Amino acid sequence: MKKLLIPILVLAVLLVLMNWIYAAFFFEKDLMAHSELVTLSRKAATDRYELVYLGESSNKTYGHKDQDKRKISEMLDDELPEIRCGDITKEAAHAEVYYYLLKNIPKDNDIQTVVVTMNLRSFGANWINSSLETALQKQLVLIKGYPPLMGRALLAFKAYPIHDKAEWNEKAKKAWAKETLAFPYPFPYKTTAEWNRSIAKNGVNDSEGNQSKALTELTAHFVKNYAFQIHDDNPRVKDFDRIVKLAEKRGWKLVFNILAENIDKAEELAGPDLTYLMRENVAYLTDRYESMGVAVVNNLEMVRDSLFIDREWPTEHYYQEGRLTIARNVAEALR
Amino acid sequence: MVFNSIEYLIFLPIVVLLFYLTPQRFRWILLLAASCLFYMWFVPQYILILLVTIVIDYGAGILMERYADSPKKKKTIFVISITSTLLVLFVFKYLGFINDNFVALCQALGLNVNTTVKIILPIGLSFHTFQSMSYVIEVYRGHQKAERHFGYYALYVMFFPQLVTGPIERPGNLLRQLHEEKRFNENNIARGLRLILFGFFIKMVVADNLGAHVDLVYEHPEQYNSWSVWLAMVFYSFQIYGDFFGYSTIALGSALLMGYEISDNFRSPYLSRNIAEFWHRWHISLSTWFRDYVYIPLGGSRVKLGRWMYNILVVFVLSGIWHGANWTFLLWGLAHGLLHIVEKVLLKAKGNKEIQYQRLRIMLNLVNTAKTFLFVTLFWVLFRATDFANMKAVFKGAFTQFDGGQRLAVEPSLWLFLGLFILFDILLKDQRFDRWCQGKHAVLRWTVYALLLFCTIAFSSVNNFPFIYFQF
Repeated sequence: MKKLLIPILVLAVLLVLMNWIYAAFFFEKDLMAHSELVTLSRKAATDRYELVYLGESSNKTYGHKDQDKRKISEMLDDELPEIRCGDITKEAAHAEVYYYLLKNIPKDNDIQTVVVTMNLRSFGANWINSSLETALQKQLVLIKGYPPLMGRALLAFKAYPIHDKAEWNEKAKKAWAKETLAFPYPFPYKTTAEWNRSIAKNGVNDSEGNQSKALTELTAHFVKNYAFQIHDDNPRVKDFDRIVKLAEKRGWKLVFNILAENIDKAEELAGPDLTYLMRENVAYLTDRYESMGVAVVNNLEMVRDSLFIDREWPTEHYYQEGRLTIARNVAEALR
Repeated sequence: MVFNSIEYLIFLPIVVLLFYLTPQRFRWILLLAASCLFYMWFVPQYILILLVTIVIDYGAGILMERYADSPKKKKTIFVISITSTLLVLFVFKYLGFINDNFVALCQALGLNVNTTVKIILPIGLSFHTFQSMSYVIEVYRGHQKAERHFGYYALYVMFFPQLVTGPIERPGNLLRQLHEEKRFNENNIARGLRLILFGFFIKMVVADNLGAHVDLVYEHPEQYNSWSVWLAMVFYSFQIYGDFFGYSTIALGSALLMGYEISDNFRSPYLSRNIAEFWHRWHISLSTWFRDYVYIPLGGSRVKLGRWMYNILVVFVLSGIWHGANWTFLLWGLAHGLLHIVEKVLLKAKGNKEIQYQRLRIMLNLVNTAKTFLFVTLFWVLFRATDFANMKAVFKGAFTQFDGGQRLAVEPSLWLFLGLFILFDILLKDQRFDRWCQGKHAVLRWTVYALLLFCTIAFSSVNNFPFIYFQF
């Protein structure tokens, strides 16, 4: 026993010492190299933001015809001149990323309000199994709050999901096959996959009654992105719950900003069944988080089809009027 | 499951702990289940291919023993077994390649043929089929008794530490050991952990960090100056060595934690003075497999010069093709074979003159070592290149771009790690890291462990570099 105890003790002392050396001399450089998004969290404190807006590409994407190229967060800043607003924007971010970004905001800050983007699509299998997830998860490893050396060890031993695009697609397909859809009325498809297959098989007709490949693909995109039902075990729900607890702990007023989706197009392409699911999901999120004391801004149907930039797949990229609508609604909730 | 993953760091201690808690008569079940889990972590359905090979070769072993008195029947069973194993290898590894070449040939002849064969190569297929074949050959030759216990035979083929990239074991070593009762031994645990730590360092710190630089140059060789291309070529020599040696060392260490001694696969190959010696030190389990089962049956070296040259070329070309279904691999094998022949012929012509002066002898050895390394490095270009066009571009870059192109930026720490690796390689010539540590003072040993552990955690590459030999 003694023979084993000594090496274990030596190893423990060595690990403590190594952790100190690593934290003192190498950790910061690694953070900048592999988790540079931590600089966004730090900037929120050093720039003395009073309100921080967390978002993904929806915050900063503008259209070619836009005169006003401001981000949603900049528009919000102008709507609330008495509050110093700043943003933390990371493409393809979702609740888990927001949680760690918020967790890494230094204790010395002026933040009173946190507005977190709640993107409906991010709760679905298509986003959960996005091929961008490998890179995002890799960036989170060092900022998850482990002792620095342990974080580096987890990064070294690839403690994050590594899949190529085809493997992520496969995972999404499996999730769609399992995603059962419950309607309060008879519905022909049990799962998202079945619905999607039917679209691919039957096609979608254009206004002249001809089958259109482009419209069929677009409809399939809408179904894959919105045909799901959010339950308590959804990973995003768990992450938003963690954000609520973190905000409570740090004394921040919390706002969840449910983004507008192209509900007009969803209805036109996939019919009221899809919009039923979208509205149900938003109702679930609103009820859940309002009951937890969070201010939930429901923008789901606030932006009309013509204000959506992308026409070949569903996104939350809006022309200036769309972004302004979102910013004004958030500002209204804060007044 | 890959060795340098968090999953393996959890999996291995659990298996080792359960191994020592399980009575000997049930251990095969534990190890077989662990090996299945290890293999199925990649793509679960591939295990069925493995199962087919195992069932055929297991049955063949028993039948060959049953018909020991009937050479004709025994040979028939042997041929069926080997053919079916090779058929599995052919279908999954070479069919796509042959189809592509057939289509290209037909199109060149103006025929409209456009068949496509898309088969994904199951991980480690070349390794476990060769291991399975070595059992069948040994039983056929009467050197090995047929294994009656299906579980033990399956475990021999599937033993997880060496399942996906070897070392390619022989039944005389591994199958025998699987039947032995392994008792908990602190020394084996210490040696196993040392090997695993050393393997991680070589793979994750040296090979993977070199790999990032190599990839940059191989992706766009035309953009770099000749010095950088040469640097990438040299880096690749150490990357592939570190990658494969690192994996083999972790495999050795993992097996040793449970008391199993599996074969060494490398002995400082870049210190070889000629290509023959290189192949005695590089991927030893494959070289000896080809020596015992191909080269010697063909007549080995005890034949006329012409026949010997033929034997050498057959072995090296097969070795090249074994690595991958691509003309570049074939060419790589051929290049090694030709150099082997040239060196042997020159040596024969020179005679067996002993050099009197020690200093001159040392100098000559150094020159020969450098020459061998240079050739091996040049040949690795054939191995690393994605196709002939890429190979041509790398060679063009190496020999014609002295005045232009960008310089490959290498951080100083990489030179330090590479230097450490080379130093270890020289220190460890003809011995293993675990044994080298044994004689050393505790302070020196723990300093080395601390250094390796710290480097492995703090400086390993964060990019995902799959083990190079996984593709074979």
